[in-house]
Amino acid sequence: MADNAVSEGASMDGHPLKLASIPATDSTVWTDASPLLQAACTGLRDGELIHGDNFNLFAAMSALEIMDPKMDSGIVRTYYSIDEAIEHGAAPIPISLDSTIDVQCTIDIMDHLLACEAAWHKGHSLAQTVFSCIYLLRLDRTAPHALLHSYCRIIRATCKAVVSVASNARTHEEEDLFTMTYGLPLNGDGDDKCLSILNAVEDTISRQLRACKAASLKRRLPEDLEPLQSNPNLEEGFCKALLCRLCFRKHFFHILACMKRPQGRGLESARKHISSCMTELESIQKSAYFIRSCFGESCEGDIDDKTTASGREPIGFDAMLNSRLSALMPPRTIKILSWKKAVEYFVKLLHDLDVICSYSLDPHLESLLRFVVQFQKSQPDLVARSHLQLLLVQDGKLYGRDPLFSVITKAAALLEATKNHDIQKNESILQLGMLVMNLLKILCTNAAWQRRKLGKFLQDWHVIYVQLELALRNEFGEVSSRSSNDENVCMKIFQHILLWVEEQTYWITFRFLILGFELELYSTSEYCMVYWYLYAVLIKLAEKTQLKMAVSYDTAKRKGKKKKDSPKDLARESRIPPAVTFLQCCIFLAEGLTMMLAALRNEISLFQSPGPFNTEQEKFAQHFELLQRACIPDHFSYPSYKESTTHARFSTLAMYNYFKDAQRIAKEVKSSFSNDPERLAELQKLEHVAEHNSAAQDLICRLGALDPSLKVSFELSHHPFFATVVAKRS
Amino acid sequence: MLLFCCSRKKPREGERERMEGIPEDKAEFDEAEIEYVSYGGEHHLPLIMNLVDQELSEPYSIFTYRYFVYLWPQLSFLAFHKGKCVGTVVCKMGEHRNTFRGYIAMLVVIKPYRGRRIATELVTRSIRMMMESGCEEVTLEVTNKGALALYGRLGFIRAKRLFHYYLNGVDAFRLKLLFPPPPPCQEL
Repeated sequence: MADNAVSEGASMDGHPLKLASIPATDSTVWTDASPLLQAACTGLRDGELIHGDNFNLFAAMSALEIMDPKMDSGIVRTYYSIDEAIEHGAAPIPISLDSTIDVQCTIDIMDHLLACEAAWHKGHSLAQTVFSCIYLLRLDRTAPHALLHSYCRIIRATCKAVVSVASNARTHEEEDLFTMTYGLPLNGDGDDKCLSILNAVEDTISRQLRACKAASLKRRLPEDLEPLQSNPNLEEGFCKALLCRLCFRKHFFHILACMKRPQGRGLESARKHISSCMTELESIQKSAYFIRSCFGESCEGDIDDKTTASGREPIGFDAMLNSRLSALMPPRTIKILSWKKAVEYFVKLLHDLDVICSYSLDPHLESLLRFVVQFQKSQPDLVARSHLQLLLVQDGKLYGRDPLFSVITKAAALLEATKNHDIQKNESILQLGMLVMNLLKILCTNAAWQRRKLGKFLQDWHVIYVQLELALRNEFGEVSSRSSNDENVCMKIFQHILLWVEEQTYWITFRFLILGFELELYSTSEYCMVYWYLYAVLIKLAEKTQLKMAVSYDTAKRKGKKKKDSPKDLARESRIPPAVTFLQCCIFLAEGLTMMLAALRNEISLFQSPGPFNTEQEKFAQHFELLQRACIPDHFSYPSYKESTTHARFSTLAMYNYFKDAQRIAKEVKSSFSNDPERLAELQKLEHVAEHNSAAQDLICRLGALDPSLKVSFELSHHPFFATVVAKRS
Repeated sequence: MLLFCCSRKKPREGERERMEGIPEDKAEFDEAEIEYVSYGGEHHLPLIMNLVDQELSEPYSIFTYRYFVYLWPQLSFLAFHKGKCVGTVVCKMGEHRNTFRGYIAMLVVIKPYRGRRIATELVTRSIRMMMESGCEEVTLEVTNKGALALYGRLGFIRAKRLFHYYLNGVDAFRLKLLFPPPPPCQEL
């Protein structure tokens, strides 16, 4: 009865109803609703809507039009269930009785699965990508086909491991489709043995490869092995093509297992597997030529958008089978990455994972932040970023190893012994530790989400500063000669930490502002206010950094044994630290750009964009709302921006060239960073921008007001956030 | 457009085509010949639906259109050229996190009529109505450069970048226009 869901009967117009292939169950029954719908249609006039307490116009927007192919996910499908698909031969086992074709098709399945996996990593749902594979949906039935079975099992175990990493890292917003696995058979009995199963198959194929090589040299091996497939001319090529694919999966699985080990203990082993994976990927790419040519197909022709190395459609996939498990309703046809792009994706992923595994687990927060910022420049995808986040923050400690208070004391340039001080139990200090942890997590997310979160985060840092300042005042008040040693020490610790919190807040603000350039959130007409704000923040950042370094030097000196300052000590004390000089270079660039943009606006109305509905003040308020709310920096507002820029003219620009100073500083400070290739590269770019802009400023000052054909543009061609001024006659 | 009741991730691909590119067959007309009309009733609904269906691949049911034009008819406008509907804008407004905010849901101009400020005029009328209705700000999501330029000229800033907002991996920008505060009432 359940199989014949609807018996043939008359519909309203007398035509027999089609048998439905979705069977009724014990608690459901099919019934013809046509008369009811007809009556409703007759009863309603155009423009009327059935209305109820829980059904209104807003709710009605969720309506799907039945049989509209764009909306009705049920209408465009070949099979209504996995069993139906299997019954109709959509996923045969064996794939073919011809062993050569069977091997070919198996390779196609492997390649398509790789493309699906890459598409999943890039943001599509698991249901519509990897689990569009019917063999994977019914893994047990692949048992007679050792090759397919072992490959599918390790893919399933790999997907589960990757989902686990991303879930633990708690992906956010746009990336949370990635971890949706509802209804998918991701947990399999025996998946923990996937490696040994794969190794057994790898071993067999390796022996088959040795056998066919021996046969080609007319040598006999002691064992009699059945060949992989029936065409001896193709045996070696197929064995190699399969081996590199199996080994890639094996090493990739090992990478995930090694990187999961706590406190970064598996990173070195992971690097070895990454290297092996890269080698196997190269072999996989090289195998494409053989695979395309083995049936006499031309190796040219456009296979760039195909999902397999052979260019053929794989057997055993149906993306619509799982459409009801897709996160999106109605589900849409998605485009699986091409095989070529999938391989490129994995090459990049492996490279990004290698960068993470090469990291020295530096206990200094400043170095770590620079590493994370540098890592993010390559725009790593979710899988790599999740792994980084889990490496950095484990069990509430840095790298699962360093307590956050110890990280903070180091960052605040306090003495080593401070990390054991009882002050770490202070409520505000504990909260500060949480903020540091959250900061590291935020910095590992995608740039768009990161910027939004950093902006809101500033309020938390402002609040913690206020709390710490209050705690300092309340607990220690005025320091007197009658204060105990411990009270003095506590007070010093608070003061150091307060200074560091300020510095860190300005660093976060700086990151928030420059991410706006990376995300293309500023139009050129807004550059003036952005550079002005950047200039203000950089000045504060430089000030706090220098103060922190001066205080730490002072503390270290007082703990030292020397009673008198040597000339060398005095010179060191008065010298500006290279990190601060670096910031000074940026300050000059920001100031120069602010003034040039202001002068261009004031003199020739360039980049002025008076809209019909609002003014520059509203744009300023919107861009810097979060910063203003957190009083960062204090007393910097729209009126002060106007005051700073209203009087800028070409004549004032001509009097002082900020870019020349930036250029000079960049040149001078290079030697201090000779062991830091990233900083050197950054300085090179800053110098380049300064040089260009200096020349452009000279030209503009000479001709700007006189030559209407002079066109000026600001391009981020040499640096990600300091624009290069391009001035040319049109 | 953000379909509030569906998944947050937007699968639509066709929107980028709305505002981009130089129309292949340009219509010859004087901008003064374009007539702008506020949504007037059921007779306008099929015109709006046909325009949007034609230009976008996103499937909107009739209820989606009705939601907007029934609740906020004063915010939707149509552009006609010699009796033919060539463009439309559909909007809403309401309370959102303690802010009274306008939202531009759909903006379409057919290809032969693009590049002649019809879209700008349609949007401007809607925004003006929102401002007069007490909205504090206006927002929408866009992807293409043409739309970014259009809204940029009207005073919108790019408030957020929405990562992989569309299923084909394309990012979107959330644009926002903040109205200046109303002038204080002056005592006579």
